[in-house]
Amino acid sequence: MSLELGKAVLETAQKKGASYADVRIGEVFDEHVTVKKGLPDDISLRETNGFGVRVIVEGAWGFAGSVFLTKGEAVQTAQAAIGIAKASSRIKKKHVTLAPSESRKGKYSTKTKKDPFKVPLDEKIDVLLHAERTIAGQSDLIKSSSAFFRAFRENKFFMSTEGAEISQQITWCGGGLEGVAVRNGEVQRRSFPASFRGNFSTSGFEFFESLALSDYAKRVGQEAVQLLDAEKCAPAETDLILTGDQLALQIHESCGHPTELDRALGMEADYAGTSFLVPDKLGKLKYGSKNVNIVADATVPGGLGTFGFDDEGTPAKRTDLIKNGLFVGYQTSRETAAELRQKRSSGGMRAQSPMALPLIRMTNINLLPGNWKSDEIVEDTKNGVLMMVNKSWSIDDRRLNFQFGTEIAWEIKNGSRERILKNPTYTGITPVFWGSCDAVSKDDWRMWGTPNCGKGVPGQTIYVGHGCGTARFRKTRVGVLR
Amino acid sequence: MSTKQLLEISEKAVKVALKKGAGQAQVASFLLDTALTRFANSQIHQNVASKTGGVAIRVITKKKIGALRANTLDEGKIGDAVEKALSIARVVPPNKDFRSLPSPQKWTPIKGAFDSETAACTAEFRADRVKDIVQKAHSKSRHVKSVAGSFSTGSSSFAISNSLGVSAYAQISLASVNVTVISEVTGSQGFGSDEQHSRFVKELDHIHVADEAAEKSIRSVKPIKIQPGEYETVLSPRASGTFVSFLGYMGFSATTYQDGQSFVKYHLGEQAFDEKLTVKDDSRDHLTLYTVPVDGEGVPKKPLQLIDQGVVSEESICYDSFTAGKEKGRKSTGHSPPPIVMFFGPMRPFPINMIASSGDASTEEMIKDTKRGIFVTRFHYTNPVDPTKAILTGLTRDGTFLVENGELSQPVMNLRYTDSMLTALKNIDMIGKEPRRTGDTTTPAMKLRRLRFTGITEY
Repeated sequence: MSLELGKAVLETAQKKGASYADVRIGEVFDEHVTVKKGLPDDISLRETNGFGVRVIVEGAWGFAGSVFLTKGEAVQTAQAAIGIAKASSRIKKKHVTLAPSESRKGKYSTKTKKDPFKVPLDEKIDVLLHAERTIAGQSDLIKSSSAFFRAFRENKFFMSTEGAEISQQITWCGGGLEGVAVRNGEVQRRSFPASFRGNFSTSGFEFFESLALSDYAKRVGQEAVQLLDAEKCAPAETDLILTGDQLALQIHESCGHPTELDRALGMEADYAGTSFLVPDKLGKLKYGSKNVNIVADATVPGGLGTFGFDDEGTPAKRTDLIKNGLFVGYQTSRETAAELRQKRSSGGMRAQSPMALPLIRMTNINLLPGNWKSDEIVEDTKNGVLMMVNKSWSIDDRRLNFQFGTEIAWEIKNGSRERILKNPTYTGITPVFWGSCDAVSKDDWRMWGTPNCGKGVPGQTIYVGHGCGTARFRKTRVGVLR
Repeated sequence: MSTKQLLEISEKAVKVALKKGAGQAQVASFLLDTALTRFANSQIHQNVASKTGGVAIRVITKKKIGALRANTLDEGKIGDAVEKALSIARVVPPNKDFRSLPSPQKWTPIKGAFDSETAACTAEFRADRVKDIVQKAHSKSRHVKSVAGSFSTGSSSFAISNSLGVSAYAQISLASVNVTVISEVTGSQGFGSDEQHSRFVKELDHIHVADEAAEKSIRSVKPIKIQPGEYETVLSPRASGTFVSFLGYMGFSATTYQDGQSFVKYHLGEQAFDEKLTVKDDSRDHLTLYTVPVDGEGVPKKPLQLIDQGVVSEESICYDSFTAGKEKGRKSTGHSPPPIVMFFGPMRPFPINMIASSGDASTEEMIKDTKRGIFVTRFHYTNPVDPTKAILTGLTRDGTFLVENGELSQPVMNLRYTDSMLTALKNIDMIGKEPRRTGDTTTPAMKLRRLRFTGITEY
């Protein structure tokens, strides 16, 4: 059906005057298993299928998508895309140009040992309930405890008028824990291994098993309660150590988004904003210290943004974004790469569903390992704060001024972790902050998965990854809350 | 596809579920037919249309709940979807908190919720409006460098049936225009924006939106840096809408209330906000955008007084049938999210029709009343820092001005605020007389005695 439907779309598009057309046909399976307070809370499956048609007519883009997978609907949808492109062409300054195609016939499938969709549901629920009950059992002050599992599979087929025929199956899964302690109106939360439902990887059920949620549940409950009695993180300018779970979001917000070339070219100005990394600064701007090396890498095993081909058929690749602190590269599409006269797309075009228009999205944005051991960073710090697991986040529309809060922090005195601090926050300006990075670890480097990165109008969410360990930032402003 | 057809799909699916052994069943069929023309750098760069639809199925057997959402309206495939939902229900443990799906209640459709002209807008129609917007903005000044935004039209409908006899439906049309203008003078950029939302495309004044965005953008070039601190603050309706929207998100859902994570729980009956602040949630008020008569379970949406002259109470909380079932004597208020709303976590009840009562001041009067303060056009990337204390952080954007001696004196570099709404909205000096829709909220401008700005950007 996919091949037949795809051919009908492309034939219609070409017959109606498209100089370029592609079609994505796909199905998505998204399983959610949440237990809360000893009960099943959300046990559901979400299935999506449909197709999307992208065309260039008279030098302008048109896109249409539908959930009705019939040949008749395929022809109608292709015609709708043509009509939309013609309307676009009335308000254009120049013809759309694409960087050369790297599309071909190809196949890709995420490597899994245990298919997460074949593991019985009751087995997943048992694991979650055991861990969740362990959190709840730590104290009567634990008023809410939850455990999460999610498995996602996307089967997609891409065809273009340039001869591409690509089949892919992306599978990912993961999960996490959350315990909430409440006393006299004060609420403290701890999560594992990361907040917002845990950590996720393009892997099979073996990844979820490796999280060993039950082993960490006790600590989650105990730390949530300990935070109620902890001192607040006081305002100061001090050395800040971020562990990977928080550093991943820092990379996401302050490097991932501003290096998206569509943002830098003003294409997201009306919603998410623009970028301080404008094209004039490419190859010139000192983004961070020499310790900062960041890449966009869709090939790294297990990354949540790992795939075989992006949604315009470009093979997965690795691109330098920041090299020895210098801003050297963008995440691009074929269209935006051509704007900068680059020969190739970086392969970052992705859509949330077959019916959505692909946009430049992060793949895996990774801070490459440094030479430190994570323990050495702490031992080398005289006075500072170590922050762990994100709680709140905000950054301006050019991605300069940011403020993050984490669930927990530890005071660092003379190279050792001392007392727990609650309500920790830190704030800074992106290039100043990364410029102060003087230590990056290698021993605890791992991939972190973020399933819900938002972008675009209409809004889309996509799953992305971040590889990192622990890093230290000198003289950072912490303790914004009074 | 009509709402009658959607209802037939839901009813058939419920029958299938019962036949296959479900004790209770609920099916919501939905269809979204939407189109959006997006522009940037003064040209159209993304132009999309999509038809998405499907069914949200909930089946219950001996308190075991199975849920499935499938993007299909094909009768044969819906049978498979029902079977999958049942297969989930067969293996999950019972949920002792579940009482029952809701029983049928009388409801009536809302007149004026759907406009066929808005639903049927063409790509040419939207392109014409974009052309007007770009021309208007550039005609304001030679310093206008680029125009961005979107113009969207379309319709959404859903129909709900359950095994207890609930049979309800809703259909709305939606149109929005959003414009951001960037101006530049000797290397300094200024940003301005404006937006309008309506169920009737003919109500959108896209030229006015372009004019307003361009005006702000031109006035915003060469901003000065001011010190963070506490300032008197005049919020445009869009900016006050952000605060009210987050109050709804953080405070009024029965889920967060029951978990002890809502600020409302700790301020019942107290003067939590200024007495000038009154916020209701009412889907039948013509001022709200999402005029749906029933919720995602087919329960009539009950108007709620969320904040009554600054006071919150137990009667402010939004319930669906599940959360209501956890409290003795409590009934659903009709706040289960409709299936046309997509969530990434468990669905929870919350308000989508918030309306803040208007006052009698104009924005000009608020500015005139300000000796030294800040005017905020819009906030960006607002997020809760501590929901129990209603602490938010975010940044200003697209037109932030210093107010001195009753006048907008100079543009200022964007500021970060970090403050508790329980403090910021405790002293509201003036409330505007012209409410504006900003999605799930309808709010007037507000003048706050103080707002705590904690940082500054570089533009």
